[in-house]
Amino acid sequence: MERLLQYVFDGLSFGAIYALLALGLVVVFRGTGHLNFAQGEMAMFCTFIIWQINEWSVPLVFAVLIGMLFGFLLGAGTEATVIRSVAKKSPGGVFVVSIALFLGLNSLASMIWDRSEGYTMKSLFPNKPEDFVRILGAEWRYKYIGVLIVALALMGMLFLLFSKTKFGLAMRSVASNPESARLVGVPSGLVLAASWGIAASMGALSGALVGGINGQITPSLMFTVFIYASAAATLGGLDSPGGAVIAGLLIGVGEQLAAGFAPGWIGQDLKLSVALISIFVVLLVKPSGLFGSLKVERV
Amino acid sequence: MLNIKEGSVTHWAIRVVGALLLVAFIVYIPTQSETARIGQFASGFTLIIAAMSLNLVLGYTGQISIGHSAFFGIGGYTAAILIRDHGWSPGYTFYAAAVIAFVVGCLIALPVLRIRGAYLALVTLAVAVLFPTLLRWRKLEWLTSGAQGIDSVKYDELPVWPILGELKGRDGRAVFAYWLGLLVLVVTFLICRGLVKSRVGRSLVAIRDNETAAAVMGVNITRTKVIIFGISASLCALAGVLSTLSSGVVTPDGQYVTLLGSIIFLLIMVVGGAGTLSGPIVGGLVYVWLDNTTRGIGTDSKGIVGYIFGWTDQSPATLILGLALIVIMLFAPTGLVGLIRKISRRIVTVTPRAITTE
Amino acid sequence: MSLLKATGLRASYGQVDVLLGIDIEVNEGEMVVVLGANGAGKTTTMRAISGTIPRSGSVMYDGHDIVSQSAESIVRSGIAHVPQGRGTFSELTVEENLRIGAYVRKDSIESDIDRWYKTFPRLEERKNQRAGSLSGGEQQMLAIARALMSRPRLLLCDEPSLGLAPLITQELFTVLKSLNQQDGLSVLLVEQNANLALKVASKVYLLETGQVVASGTAEAIAGDERIRKAYLGG
Repeated sequence: MERLLQYVFDGLSFGAIYALLALGLVVVFRGTGHLNFAQGEMAMFCTFIIWQINEWSVPLVFAVLIGMLFGFLLGAGTEATVIRSVAKKSPGGVFVVSIALFLGLNSLASMIWDRSEGYTMKSLFPNKPEDFVRILGAEWRYKYIGVLIVALALMGMLFLLFSKTKFGLAMRSVASNPESARLVGVPSGLVLAASWGIAASMGALSGALVGGINGQITPSLMFTVFIYASAAATLGGLDSPGGAVIAGLLIGVGEQLAAGFAPGWIGQDLKLSVALISIFVVLLVKPSGLFGSLKVERV
Repeated sequence: MLNIKEGSVTHWAIRVVGALLLVAFIVYIPTQSETARIGQFASGFTLIIAAMSLNLVLGYTGQISIGHSAFFGIGGYTAAILIRDHGWSPGYTFYAAAVIAFVVGCLIALPVLRIRGAYLALVTLAVAVLFPTLLRWRKLEWLTSGAQGIDSVKYDELPVWPILGELKGRDGRAVFAYWLGLLVLVVTFLICRGLVKSRVGRSLVAIRDNETAAAVMGVNITRTKVIIFGISASLCALAGVLSTLSSGVVTPDGQYVTLLGSIIFLLIMVVGGAGTLSGPIVGGLVYVWLDNTTRGIGTDSKGIVGYIFGWTDQSPATLILGLALIVIMLFAPTGLVGLIRKISRRIVTVTPRAITTE
Repeated sequence: MSLLKATGLRASYGQVDVLLGIDIEVNEGEMVVVLGANGAGKTTTMRAISGTIPRSGSVMYDGHDIVSQSAESIVRSGIAHVPQGRGTFSELTVEENLRIGAYVRKDSIESDIDRWYKTFPRLEERKNQRAGSLSGGEQQMLAIARALMSRPRLLLCDEPSLGLAPLITQELFTVLKSLNQQDGLSVLLVEQNANLALKVASKVYLLETGQVVASGTAEAIAGDERIRKAYLGG
């Protein structure tokens, strides 16, 4: 029983991180119709920036905030320059460009921060061996709780942004009908850039949380997280923010359970495959995802 | 500005000269260059074949696959397992790899290609990442030898080919790999060209962009797309076999077996010219050239080893190509081939034969 | 007093020239109708005026040439475009559709929302419903109300009667006419339903393959034999 709880606790925290990144993917997809393959690498790059700023004696909390701002600028800037120009010429090309960005950011990070053992990253939360809460026999470490709370808080803020603010409404209107949005005077360019900016910003936080959990950061930090996030976005529905969150949590818990209760078959080796297989299953059974509303037509 | 009539003597002369130059170049390499250079070309052929196979998918489904590294790996591992553990002779492994890859490819593509949307990318991403993980899986170690991969894939007798005479030793193997690669490349090229020019191919492309027509035609479209994806997977697997044959080794971290491989194939295809027959060739040659000229630069400044990712010593060529990709997408979406065509059109135009009604 | 004056307006889709030099004028307080067969360029004309497609020529609005302004700033200047097919934000609620219509305004919009709910009671009934679930007629009302939320001086209305039952169409036109007469809203209307349009318009333009081939008052056009035969079913 406590094992089960343990997996659930841990899974929720990891799941929250996946959900953060998945939300970024969904925000971009809903707002612009594109998949950002570089979402994870943008997050990784911002995490290194956060680390670097922290190294320069800025307290970690502020470093994270600055990193998120940097992420916003990085995302918005990329959209306003490269992505927009390419989208005009060939919409399919945007995905290809995001692949190039994936490579480019990874290479750049590897060149700037090139210690092969990686760098030590502090956690935002108390992280000594005794920092945990015992619930029904399972240990819930403070840093995991912290991750869950912060991630959920940020997602909550995003939902508030979308549902209660004028700009959020503008973003939803562009996602719903870009042509009409122009006709009512919504500055589509700003909205597009903001979508990418918000996504990158959330990625930055996601990366910081991952770094805090791992304790160590390298340029391959966010790679598997990205895969999990893609699975979560697909499972939840590429155009459903709520779906991304729920799916992220589900996948987080699911993989812990799978790895924990079937160590021989799945274990740590194939944990990732849980997420990957779920992509297949979703597309086979309900392509629009659990909560998505994409008009998915059979050809 | 030259103006040539199609079918005229000048036109033929140019084409013949071009063909002769090409043949001369092809023969020059294995006979006059050092073994290392020959090896580079051989691996270049491998890349070109993979990029060509990818081109098929883009051309007929309009979607992008980033999972072809898995098919490459399937080919490579099939060859390795069959040769080392079962004593097959190399030639037949091509066929086995092609069949296995075809089946796997069709299975993967079937659920995805029947729905519209950019889902192929997601699924193939999953495949590309899952494949090396499966290779390392403890339960499959009996087959794949896990993380260390399969080595000592040797075949002793190199066939004696009429023109080349006997090939011996390392040099001989390099030359053999070159010609074998070239052969497979030509076969792949012909298959791709055949598909493009066939009625099925042409009608698919016409329909691809017209949703109503597709809806009217119904299931058949999906089946054809899936089959073409399967063929694409087979061709990529052939490249994998070639790679194993020439290097004698295949590992889960191998250069083109991981997601990075898929990305490189994609880069080559797009930079060369997506959707064109010669694009992958140009792209592949450029990549090989870049790889060789930049290999020495900065090998000590990076080298992040991510297990699932397999970035062993990352060649700057990949980064450069990535940057080139962005530049190309911004300014010349038709790739290098498109650029070359545009430039050559300013120098020479070929006016088509007048169609007479007599 | 001239509110909108387009001269030599040209527009193309890719290589195809659709508008070959249109001259249209809307005076303050007028209701002007553009008639023409399918493909004549009516919708393109609207898009060219509202700035949603690239265009050339001259479009004088309230004294300035807006031919190179962005769509957003044109909305801010007081031109609102109700597109063909309604262009509803299906995923947003009815009320959200109205709110986003007022995006360019910085003042309080509550009184406007109340006003349009009174004018179109059915919208108020469904105010928290997903706009995509409304009927065609309701969506048309929504689209018009949405455009009016920005308090425009000129309303561009593209085929409002398309796909609607005659009764609803009647209602819509009554509303438009009253807005025009009581509030002084200038309207540029594109319609295929010529008979209906002629009843409400003061001035008519006839478009044919990208050019204006006839213009005049509604009576003049309605009275012209050739035009009746060609466009109005005799």
